[in-house]
Amino acid sequence: MAGPGLATRLYQGEANLNVVGRRKMWFSIAATLVIVAIGAILIRGFNLGIEFAGGSEFNVPGQVAGKTLTQEEVSGAVATAVESVEPGAEVKPAQQVGDGAEVNFKIRTAELTPDQMQRAKVALAGELGMEAGQISDQQVSSAWGGTVINKAILGLVIFLALVTAYLVVRFEWRMAAAAFASLLLDLTFTAGIYALVGFELTPYTVIGFLTILGYSLYDVVVVFDKVQENTRGVTAGSSRTYAEATNLAINQTLMRSLNTSLVAMLPVGGVLFIGAGLLGAGTLKDLGLVLFVGMGIGVYSSIFFAAPVLSWLKDREPKIKAHNARVLARRAQRSEDVAKGERGGRSNMTASDEVPAYAGSTTPRPGARPVQKRNVNRPGGKRP
Amino acid sequence: MHPGRQLGVLGLVFLVLYLAVFFAADAKGSWKDRLEPKLGLDLIGGTQATYVASQLGQPPTTEAMKTAQEIIESRVNALGVSEAEVVIQGRDTIVVSLAGKAEDQLKDLSNAANMRFRLLTGVTGDVAESALNPTTPAPSPSVSGSAAPKPSGSAAAPATSGSAAPKASGTAPKASSAPSAGGQGGGQVAPSPSVSGSAAAPAASASAAAPAPAPSASAAAPAPVTQDVKELRAAIEKKVGAAAWTAAEKLTAPVELGTDPKAGLPFKAFASLTGVEVNALGPQMQFNVPTISCAQLDQRPNGAIDAVDAEVVACYNGAKVKLDKAEVVGDDIAEASHQLDQTTNQWVVALDFKSEGQKKWAALTRKAYEATQTDACFVAAGMLYGGTAEHCSVAVVLDKTIISAPTIQAVLTGQSQITGDFNAASAKELADQLNFGAIPVTFTAGPAQTVSATVGGQQLEAGLLAAAIGLGLVAIYSFFYYRMLGLVIFLSLGLSALLTFGALVFLGRSIGFTLTLAGIVGFIVSLGVAADSFIIYFERLKDEIHEGRSPRAAVPRAWQRARRTIISANAITIMCAVVLYIVSIGQVQGLAFALGLSTVLDLLVVFLFRHPIMTLLASTKAFLSPTVSGLGRVLRRSQTEEPVSSRVKEA
Repeated sequence: MAGPGLATRLYQGEANLNVVGRRKMWFSIAATLVIVAIGAILIRGFNLGIEFAGGSEFNVPGQVAGKTLTQEEVSGAVATAVESVEPGAEVKPAQQVGDGAEVNFKIRTAELTPDQMQRAKVALAGELGMEAGQISDQQVSSAWGGTVINKAILGLVIFLALVTAYLVVRFEWRMAAAAFASLLLDLTFTAGIYALVGFELTPYTVIGFLTILGYSLYDVVVVFDKVQENTRGVTAGSSRTYAEATNLAINQTLMRSLNTSLVAMLPVGGVLFIGAGLLGAGTLKDLGLVLFVGMGIGVYSSIFFAAPVLSWLKDREPKIKAHNARVLARRAQRSEDVAKGERGGRSNMTASDEVPAYAGSTTPRPGARPVQKRNVNRPGGKRP
Repeated sequence: MHPGRQLGVLGLVFLVLYLAVFFAADAKGSWKDRLEPKLGLDLIGGTQATYVASQLGQPPTTEAMKTAQEIIESRVNALGVSEAEVVIQGRDTIVVSLAGKAEDQLKDLSNAANMRFRLLTGVTGDVAESALNPTTPAPSPSVSGSAAPKPSGSAAAPATSGSAAPKASGTAPKASSAPSAGGQGGGQVAPSPSVSGSAAAPAASASAAAPAPAPSASAAAPAPVTQDVKELRAAIEKKVGAAAWTAAEKLTAPVELGTDPKAGLPFKAFASLTGVEVNALGPQMQFNVPTISCAQLDQRPNGAIDAVDAEVVACYNGAKVKLDKAEVVGDDIAEASHQLDQTTNQWVVALDFKSEGQKKWAALTRKAYEATQTDACFVAAGMLYGGTAEHCSVAVVLDKTIISAPTIQAVLTGQSQITGDFNAASAKELADQLNFGAIPVTFTAGPAQTVSATVGGQQLEAGLLAAAIGLGLVAIYSFFYYRMLGLVIFLSLGLSALLTFGALVFLGRSIGFTLTLAGIVGFIVSLGVAADSFIIYFERLKDEIHEGRSPRAAVPRAWQRARRTIISANAITIMCAVVLYIVSIGQVQGLAFALGLSTVLDLLVVFLFRHPIMTLLASTKAFLSPTVSGLGRVLRRSQTEEPVSSRVKEA
């Protein structure tokens, strides 16, 4: 499986990766990551932005009337101005945003009243020799942050309920459950990454995250759509177990998933690049970051978690269980009695064609696992 | 459907949208102006303040919310920034935003709106204009009968007819007891101590032409003034000049301009006082000095006339009115409702008080009902209602506004009714306002921010740059991966962008949709979603070709099957956007709206552009060439390979 070979096969949707077969491994990886994420959240907690923590913030331009201000100057001026209206109020260090002519400094302080804020701003403007209108400011009460969080949680719950209902109607409850599980995994991972790295949590992060959930479902829907197609009437035949059919679907949609994710991440990458690089902080960075992180995790979980969970759930269904047993039994019998063969459908199979059948194809070429099996157990499968 | 017809439908959609952009929903100005979307203040700078309203700790009712919005609106207008927008978001949030300007006072509007019932004790015209320009003919300083103020919202019902008690001069609302609650007029004429000094009023007959006599200054000696007010008064004295100040202090009644048009001139400097300064003056001075206008009074800080124990001055229908101490407050109201009086077939507002409040209300109405011609309030009511009123009026004050000033027709000990020239809507409005007073809505200041125009410009630039980079990257990728088919993607994205832009401009004007930075991000994210639907389709196409179909046969099949996936995936995105839009507030809503809008438009483009264009392309020769279509490997492969399967599958 050399590089170019893999790329080609990926391109043609024939990478033939055994994903579902190794589901124990994926589950262990997921479990480990979940533990790490929860641990990080519990131990490190979140770095709350001003909207959640409450407080006031000044945004002072770094260049005024031709003169350039340094970070210390701005910090000092803000401290003096705030001290004059509210002695003892906390003033955090200035944060530089952007550079060159568009440099700005952000300084967070303790929560000030609108009136204090107004006076502090006038004082600050006087001290730095600019007009009050050039200084941007923001005040948030911590109570508001609570409201935003509550609304976000409400939104999340409603969304999950709706989506689950939709998936139950559109697919079936097991698929809905698998999708739901993968969403929870997305949620935990992203939260864990935020806690671990210490990215600032703002309402935009939360909202961006909800958007991601929608997006991550997009991927899951694509995969499950194919699974549904591949497994329609799977019990009627006896060529593939449900897990194999699922794996086949993953392989067939792998390129699609990678492609769609890549394409979706490109513009978001643009946002992140501009947001973090040019502006340094703010809406663009918050959104770009969470979208980027979330989309990445979404791709992972739709392929390596949602589908394995689905096959695991399905394998517990009596009908599927019986079917799986029948397939395996038949396969065992077949390998004993290979010479007879039982169908002519594989006449076109060549040595180079170690590829499973395409979607819904009736040729009984099993999915991932059979690669091994075919080589080991059924050498006769490759007929000239 | 024939591909041509689908393209035709798309063309029609375009035509309609852009006609709407250019001509519908108050389109005006040059072509360029008509193409401007409404930008949020994080993109052009400005001030935004958020207020969260609550009623007894609960989200307010819809009616209370509307009244709260009106109150905030009037407070904003009092600041002189009428272009600021006041909108309700969600169930309990009011957002005040002013684009392009820094106006920090907008962030300080959160004090509670209180309701007070005050006896109306004096009326004088707002004559500031003529007092300053005595050359122009001075209007009659008194509010004559013909110029009788009308209760707002009464325009629709001119026919108060006989039943509307000719006493109350047709248009004037009056309060009368419900039939059940007979007037229990007690014997004692009990003028309140606060107005006792003013009993020496001129005869009522004089009042039609003469300015209202006011209670003497001594009667209303204001309560001990705070240090701040003293300082402010000293400053004002300096500002207006000692002579004018002394003259103003000596006034015991509004200056009579009717007899001497130039009488107002000595007080000229008072016209330049700010709302805060006017508020520092005593009520006598606010009322008597002719050059203090209603506009100035309206600019007094919020809560200026809330004090229960003080006389205050307010404006009512363009006249300055003086009001007694508040003996009944909003809290005393149990409930108000609008109803159709069965006997008179008139809309009335029924008012119930709590038990304690009822006693106070009875006392207040007794005072109003039993007032005689010698009482100031009697004269005032006469002036307000053209000399026909036989009893005093009680003004209902909400925040800084008199919402109604009915004349009292009985001593009210039970349910009261306010009658007048109401229609269903105006009666409901008053009832809503009274209920609002009953359970005051309190505001908590939510986030407030000022964005300087520079920062706004930078953010807009950054947002657009990010969008351009995003679009560029997607275009490069799709050309790289799908070659000529990338052109289809690119064209579709371009079409989507045009549709989105048109929708933005139109929605901005029609429903006030504002594009914020978060909204731009929403659109950028949707770029990815739009491109995704292509990939799903093209990969399907590859599948089909791989299975040995000719491109021509593969296109409709791939479409049929990709359609299902695309619709479910987009349905989820739309669901996400709708949920976000409903539960969230502020800029987050902008993002949700943008995402939802562009996903819907994407679906439109997918169905009406991409599908037909692919159908057309499939029948061209170029499409078959692997280098052109980007289906290269698949095509090459399938040409050397036998069809794997020919069995038809269900999509």
